Amino acid sequence: MLKTSLGTLLLDNPILSASGTFGSGWEGRMFSDLAQVGALVSKTVTVHPRPGNPPPRIWETASGMLNSIGLENKGADYFLAESLPKMQQLANGGRGPRIIINIGGESIDEFVQLAERFSAAGVDALEVNLSCPNVQEGRLLFSTEPRLTEQALRAVKRVATVPVFAKLSPNVTDITEIARAAEQGGADGITAINTLIGMAIDWRKQRPILGRGIGGLSGPAIKPVALRMVYECARTVKIPILGVGGVRSATDVLDFVCAGASAVQIGTAQFTDPALMVRLKDELRTLLTEARMTIAELRGSAHRPAAIPTAKPTAACAVATPEVKG
Amino acid sequence: MLSAPMQTRVHALRRLRELGGGSFAVEVDGPIPATLPGQFYMLRTEKRWPVLLPRPFSLYDRAADGSWGSFLVKGVGEGTRAILDLAPGEGLVLNGPLGQPFPRDIDNPICVAGGVGLAPFLLLAREYKAQGRNLRLLFGGRNRAALSGLEDVEPVARVFASTDDGSHGFHGMVTALLDDLIARGEVKAGEVVFCCGPDPMMHAVAALCEKRGLRCFLSLETYMACGYGVCNGCTVKVQGPRFKGWPYSRTCMEGPVYEACELVH
Repeated sequence: MLKTSLGTLLLDNPILSASGTFGSGWEGRMFSDLAQVGALVSKTVTVHPRPGNPPPRIWETASGMLNSIGLENKGADYFLAESLPKMQQLANGGRGPRIIINIGGESIDEFVQLAERFSAAGVDALEVNLSCPNVQEGRLLFSTEPRLTEQALRAVKRVATVPVFAKLSPNVTDITEIARAAEQGGADGITAINTLIGMAIDWRKQRPILGRGIGGLSGPAIKPVALRMVYECARTVKIPILGVGGVRSATDVLDFVCAGASAVQIGTAQFTDPALMVRLKDELRTLLTEARMTIAELRGSAHRPAAIPTAKPTAACAVATPEVKG
Repeated sequence: MLSAPMQTRVHALRRLRELGGGSFAVEVDGPIPATLPGQFYMLRTEKRWPVLLPRPFSLYDRAADGSWGSFLVKGVGEGTRAILDLAPGEGLVLNGPLGQPFPRDIDNPICVAGGVGLAPFLLLAREYKAQGRNLRLLFGGRNRAALSGLEDVEPVARVFASTDDGSHGFHGMVTALLDDLIARGEVKAGEVVFCCGPDPMMHAVAALCEKRGLRCFLSLETYMACGYGVCNGCTVKVQGPRFKGWPYSRTCMEGPVYEACELVH
């Protein structure tokens, strides 16, 4: 009922962690049995260590939060030596969640390096972070440029031996152009969406609140935007879509599935409830049992013509309805 | 299969005990796990939580058997006001204990609290009282009303109070009180200060300690999203061997207690 596939990657259920919101899963294992989660997506790993942005790095907004962490991580060497073994322990020889490593490069060369190293390390899939809003180079280079997106994916695909997903930015005029470019570059799927660029200001100090000034908006506030973008991408590309943005209930998950997502990532809502992913998986089962549906049946169903014909207006009704003038 | 030893739990509110100055001891039913002074919990109301993220609070008090616990909450924003709007029997969601406590290998520290910064010190005072000793606690506020919880701590600690307006105890800031105690030989160089309070006060206490040759540990309050180490949002700039050259530290994991010399401003 909950099984889903992302190309060749099969998942027991469509619940994944969103990159950067669950570390490498190690802290989260204290709060729930992560064997029940479809896949864990690591925080972005870069070739070199990145200390990240100056604090304050987070700020709560109406139904959401801004962050400007800046991809703080200790680099690929450290991740391979320290964090990946822990993720593999959670994966428990295939009995636990699939392991997806999110990689961030400042150049195509770096993406390639990371893709080679993590493919060799035996992870289940890669997610290419083309779209972190909190680092200058990433924002300028990849996420907003179809041509660069395609080139980056093509280069990564040339060396990767596992499925590759492209994580897209919503901070573009038309996300479907970037989605199409990722597909043409050979991506096995896309993840939509990363955070929306925003900011907060303290008028008394007459200064931006975040240390870096701007940050990425996440949380329930962005769900309608994310849903719309997943819907648009689903009409444009044939590769599977990982939906992400503001999910905090099983209903939210199914909304994304109807929009065309094959699986859904949980992000900010995990900060409020560290055991949320497992709870959502259980709630999904309940909802789908009640509805007598499966994830596979629901996927993309919002794109189909309405199954129930809409009632035809009666003569009286037709008379009463004023003519609409274009 | 890996177990899940920590869980967010819903605890029923027992009562709100008014402490003055807009602060309350928010008492909830147990079981409250054993918690060391300085560790904290992420809190949100079970229903009608008006904001998104839970809020961090030190554990203020706890029954010896864990059958109840309390948090010192001052209504300053939407989240804290929602907690103070709870009726007895309604649920508060707790995640904790989280973070590192004040160092356990320091004997007889001098504690310096400002306002709701009193929170981590009641448990420590109870620990000392149980050993037949009195913890020294300097407790400062703007005025008498701001010394919320003074009646709770006075029976179990040797309290030196200060108010900016002189309405209770020493007339002046808590740093001036600390300096006064040093001048009178009550506190000596080489002793260790544990401090919790507003940032400007902690800056001043840390600076004074450095000048007078005292070690100083600060319990920081930062904006937190997760509280369990996954978001990297609550970081502060640090230095020192504990961090192995990395410039930032998560206050929810390696903190919230830092030695003053570890913090980079």
